[in-house]
Amino acid sequence: MTSTDLAQGRAQVHHGSLEALRRRPVVLGLLGLLTLSVAIVAGVALGTVAVPVAETVAILAARLGVPLEQSWADTSETIVLTLRLPRVLTALVVGLGLSVAGVTFQGLLRNPLADPYVLGTASGAALGAAIGVLLPIQIAWLGLGLVNILAFVGALAAVTVVYRIAGGGGRSTMTSILLTGYAVGSMLAAGLALAMYLSGSQLRQIFYYLLGSLSGADWQSLALGLPIIAVGSLLILARARSLNGLLLGDETALHLGVDVRRERVVLLALASLVTAAAVALAGLIGFIGLVIPHIVRLVVGPNARLVLPLSAIWGAAFLVVADLVARLVGELPVGIITAVIGAPIFVMLLRRYRTAYQL
Amino acid sequence: MNARTIGRALGRPARGFLVALLSTLLVLSLGLAPVLGSDEAFPLTVVDDEGTEVTIEAMPERIISLAPSTTETIFALGAGDRLVGGTDYDDYPPEAGALTDVATYTGVIMEQIVALEPDLVLAAGNHFTPPDDIARMRELGHTVMVLYAPDVESVMADIELIGSSIGAAEEAGAMTAELTAQMDAVSEAAAAAESTPSVFYELGAEPEIYAPAPDSFLADMIVRAGGEPVTTTDPALWSIPLEELLVADPEVIVLGDANYGTCPDAVGARPGWDGMTAVVNGDVRPVDDVPITRPGPRLAQGLASLARAIHPELELTGFPADPPMCEAA
Amino acid sequence: MTATGLRVDIDGLSLRYGSAQVLAGVDLHIAPGERLCLVGPNGAGKSSLLRCLTGLAEPSEGTVRLDGVPLAEIERSALARTISVVPSQVELPFSMPVEDVVLLGRIPHENPFTGQSDEDHRAADVAIRRVGIEKLRGRDVRQLSMGERQLVLVAMAVAQGGRLIVLDEPTVHLDLRHQVEVLQLIERLADVGLTVLAVLHDLPLAAHFFPRLAMLDEGRLVADGAPADVLSPDRIRDVYEVDPRFVPSLAWNGSP
Repeated sequence: MTSTDLAQGRAQVHHGSLEALRRRPVVLGLLGLLTLSVAIVAGVALGTVAVPVAETVAILAARLGVPLEQSWADTSETIVLTLRLPRVLTALVVGLGLSVAGVTFQGLLRNPLADPYVLGTASGAALGAAIGVLLPIQIAWLGLGLVNILAFVGALAAVTVVYRIAGGGGRSTMTSILLTGYAVGSMLAAGLALAMYLSGSQLRQIFYYLLGSLSGADWQSLALGLPIIAVGSLLILARARSLNGLLLGDETALHLGVDVRRERVVLLALASLVTAAAVALAGLIGFIGLVIPHIVRLVVGPNARLVLPLSAIWGAAFLVVADLVARLVGELPVGIITAVIGAPIFVMLLRRYRTAYQL
Repeated sequence: MNARTIGRALGRPARGFLVALLSTLLVLSLGLAPVLGSDEAFPLTVVDDEGTEVTIEAMPERIISLAPSTTETIFALGAGDRLVGGTDYDDYPPEAGALTDVATYTGVIMEQIVALEPDLVLAAGNHFTPPDDIARMRELGHTVMVLYAPDVESVMADIELIGSSIGAAEEAGAMTAELTAQMDAVSEAAAAAESTPSVFYELGAEPEIYAPAPDSFLADMIVRAGGEPVTTTDPALWSIPLEELLVADPEVIVLGDANYGTCPDAVGARPGWDGMTAVVNGDVRPVDDVPITRPGPRLAQGLASLARAIHPELELTGFPADPPMCEAA
Repeated sequence: MTATGLRVDIDGLSLRYGSAQVLAGVDLHIAPGERLCLVGPNGAGKSSLLRCLTGLAEPSEGTVRLDGVPLAEIERSALARTISVVPSQVELPFSMPVEDVVLLGRIPHENPFTGQSDEDHRAADVAIRRVGIEKLRGRDVRQLSMGERQLVLVAMAVAQGGRLIVLDEPTVHLDLRHQVEVLQLIERLADVGLTVLAVLHDLPLAAHFFPRLAMLDEGRLVADGAPADVLSPDRIRDVYEVDPRFVPSLAWNGSP
């Protein structure tokens, strides 16, 4: 084996710039980080009330400790630091979490149509949130409202029930878990429909939770949600090797040395935890967990070591931008924007690069 | 030293002038008291309709209203110039449309509220203003009062509450007194009519039939207008099955959804409705639902419209004529 | 890259699923570098034997030793570096280029945090060359023919670097040309000294490509040796319950 052999072996024929990108995930990553940074600044600088960009930067700098004379209005500071900054950061964290969870579920279930909500998490969270809206109790625990808490609990409870019913990892296949998830999700959705019917004047609140919204974002919720999502995502990334091993099926994974039963439970638990935190923070924002992993995979292939971090970056950027658009258009629920922006992009990519792997 | 001494010292014309000056000042201060004197009312602690104690430090100069009824009330109390923000569906008086929108159907635009630096925010209860937004505004340090009027008496109480909170307590008192008197007059006239017909106030007919709930604001209004309201079976329920409506067989149908395009001829065309007494007798009448359902200063006018729709023979003087609705184009 | 093959000692292996006796007292010894094919009718226990060997099933009785070390004492990832299993046709949920699939074989060698090393990439390149699928580089595995896909899976197993290669029905669904291609490839690979254990249902091909056959019937090892001896007319009649003239392997006279 000579170096020329290697060189020849490594030579690729590239068609088009996207093909070139395929072999340079670093480029995709840097591009993502750049987009994310611009999105964050835009998200904090723009909004219903105009705060000049220079002022925004000054306010942020002062907060970070740079000694600056206050040349801005107190209201500008409140808007930037108390309203917009936590909201933009929440969008970042939720977009990141949903994308990572999407990658994980698609890999675990070996199903490209899986998304973070596929095991009943969405219905469980929604029902929990609806109950939180309807209960005439005002609880604030560590700054979290009853709705957030019950949404989180509901999401996790749903996944646990699904896992138990499906046989809990013993002889259950991921297909049976998927089907059980669908069944349990339907049941929970029925409960939700009933709750909505009985909700009277509170229907609007429940409805907006279902569409997903970042308008309630604040520092306390973020302080609780961010560690869960960040740590969960990092732990999933550490297990990228197992996700890759599962690509060819359980048996092959076992032959490759992957402890399939343990990895499945751990990955399922981590991804569910991240999803539950995301929905507790922002409601049911759809589309991100399904599509961002696909778009990334179209560019760099299914290697989880690449797909996980790249999906995290691009998912975060996407949601920050989507939330900005939602705010500027008139405080629409951001779930509408993610669908409207994302679906055409996905269709376009699929059409153009469907044949990417054929010579 | 007393006034007489001073007067004698200054001479007769000066004395006269002094007397005139003092009297003028006295009269002026008495006259201005209702407008200026309310400064002494602040700081003021009131209890809002959710039972929260709200302290208003000084007379509010930058008021935000989160309900069209509140906006109307504030304009009617003469404080419209102190309003800095309203909702995007404030439509009366016409000047209200020019207010900066701080709330939409989705909720409160928090940035706008902060930027306007209000010293008093009047929110709407019963989830009209999302409770999360109310909490958030209070967290951000704003003075927020929540108003909710489930019946006619509460509307009067709310008008007075708004009045005290913005330093217009006297005007508010006068307004409620007049409104109450007007409404009592309507009720008396209606009671003197031949009968108290059963009234179905239609809030909507698609996809379900929507009627007032028992013990609701609308039911209260209908009773005061001299009608027997057909209601749903439960205070939490606003829809009524067609069969129930047929059994109730109202003698009068008031189209509260006329503003949205529902007119009497359409009612008769609905399957199953043509047998109803009201339809057969042609007692289906459209109304402008806004003054009837908005808990604000036009409530008496609304009651009059409602009474006329129920008892078309009533002559109610002192109220503007109802705008024509559903006339053939 | 090359190493001597694994020595496999199976003693008294029995496996029970509920009330079914899947394997009963199987003794099988494979020397390093040997090529052995398991034959037998469906349900004879061939796949179960492989599963016991690769650690997927736990035997009810008996032992499996690799190079003298009991299987139970070998840790899962070490086992994955020792035995390469060629899957027979897999369903990939996502598009994946050929070289990435081959790289999957390096998973037991990868550092979970730093990912694939240069050595991993080298091993994959070598595997691709040795299997002769250079021309398939860059292609999406899902777009390949079944024969080509099987070759990719063999390359993956080669990249895995095991000293024992196990193939469970690698020629199922393949046309004759591809069947022969895969089996010839396996011959070449084993030339470097790897131990090969395969399961084939096609008796003539098994007899041609493997110098040693072991026949299982209802969980028992009923024959072990040269093809001509194992595939005797009587045995065919007994085990497969068909007229031996339907099995043309005898025309080979057992010569490879």
